[in-house]
Amino acid sequence: MFLAIVPAYNESKRVGSVVRSLLLHVDTVLVVDDGSTDDTAEIAWQAGATVLTHRLNRGQGAALETGHVYARRVGAEYILHFDADGQFSVDDILPALSLLKHAQVDIIFGSRYKDSRSNVPWTKKYLLRPIGKLVDRMFGGLKLSDAHNGFRLFNKNALHTLSLTHSGMAHASEIPALVKKHGLRYMEVPVSVMYHEYGQGIGGGIRVVRDLLLGKFSK
Amino acid sequence: MIIFQFLFLLFSLFAIGAVIQRKKDSAMSSIGTAFWMVFWILADVVVFLPQSVTVFANHLGIGRGTDLVTYVSFALIFFVLFRLHVKLHEIERDITTIVRKDALKQTISNKQ
Repeated sequence: MFLAIVPAYNESKRVGSVVRSLLLHVDTVLVVDDGSTDDTAEIAWQAGATVLTHRLNRGQGAALETGHVYARRVGAEYILHFDADGQFSVDDILPALSLLKHAQVDIIFGSRYKDSRSNVPWTKKYLLRPIGKLVDRMFGGLKLSDAHNGFRLFNKNALHTLSLTHSGMAHASEIPALVKKHGLRYMEVPVSVMYHEYGQGIGGGIRVVRDLLLGKFSK
Repeated sequence: MIIFQFLFLLFSLFAIGAVIQRKKDSAMSSIGTAFWMVFWILADVVVFLPQSVTVFANHLGIGRGTDLVTYVSFALIFFVLFRLHVKLHEIERDITTIVRKDALKQTISNKQ
């Protein structure tokens, strides 16, 4: 089974079309509604997704790990991380899946910087990206061109090996660190990202560093 | 005895009483109880015999006792703040675990 995990928080405007377009490329779409205050869950369900609802907003990392637990339970062979805001293109899914199956890798990371299709704001490209890469290197991550990209594919081995502990956006740094720690094989593929809103800024980056630091001292 | 010393003594006795009560209620470990008892007794010694801290500070190469107290207080406050942050982080994780278990129990089945 090829399962798409879509973490969603107050995405009622776009989640329906995202689910419908995903269902053309995957077997099942799981939307993890992360404590939305709008009707994200209802719209996702009507569009054909299986829906899990967090009663409290816990963050994207928490929603993805909830999706992982579900995927392990239902015996998914491949999983896809896909954002609910419609910034990714479903056209990138099948080439990435084909690569995952045939290139002997456990995980595929999407990258905005492998081609020129994405409309990345220059502050993200030239300011936040180098800082992000430095932070990832400090916390034991891989040398990726775009670590903080929400488009990822896991095979069964990666799904059962990686368990996310960071609830917030620090999971994007945690995943490459875990891949390196467990010696999983990986590859980057170009993906298209069309921004509808700016997303994580410098404040979010500071929270990521704080969470990564605190995580080092937690049980 | 100056007014400050009298008020501080009263406050420290109240704090020591609270520590003993928490120990009686099994809400504090033996190590925690010992730490806070020693802390408040030392604080009383510092308040009543300020020169004792100056002597100790001089041994460490610090000119004034009050400077030493300030440095140690800052270090302690930052340490306690750090411990609180770590504890909060762990509580956040526990909440996430509960929320996840709850979500997985209540899967909304799809139409597929």
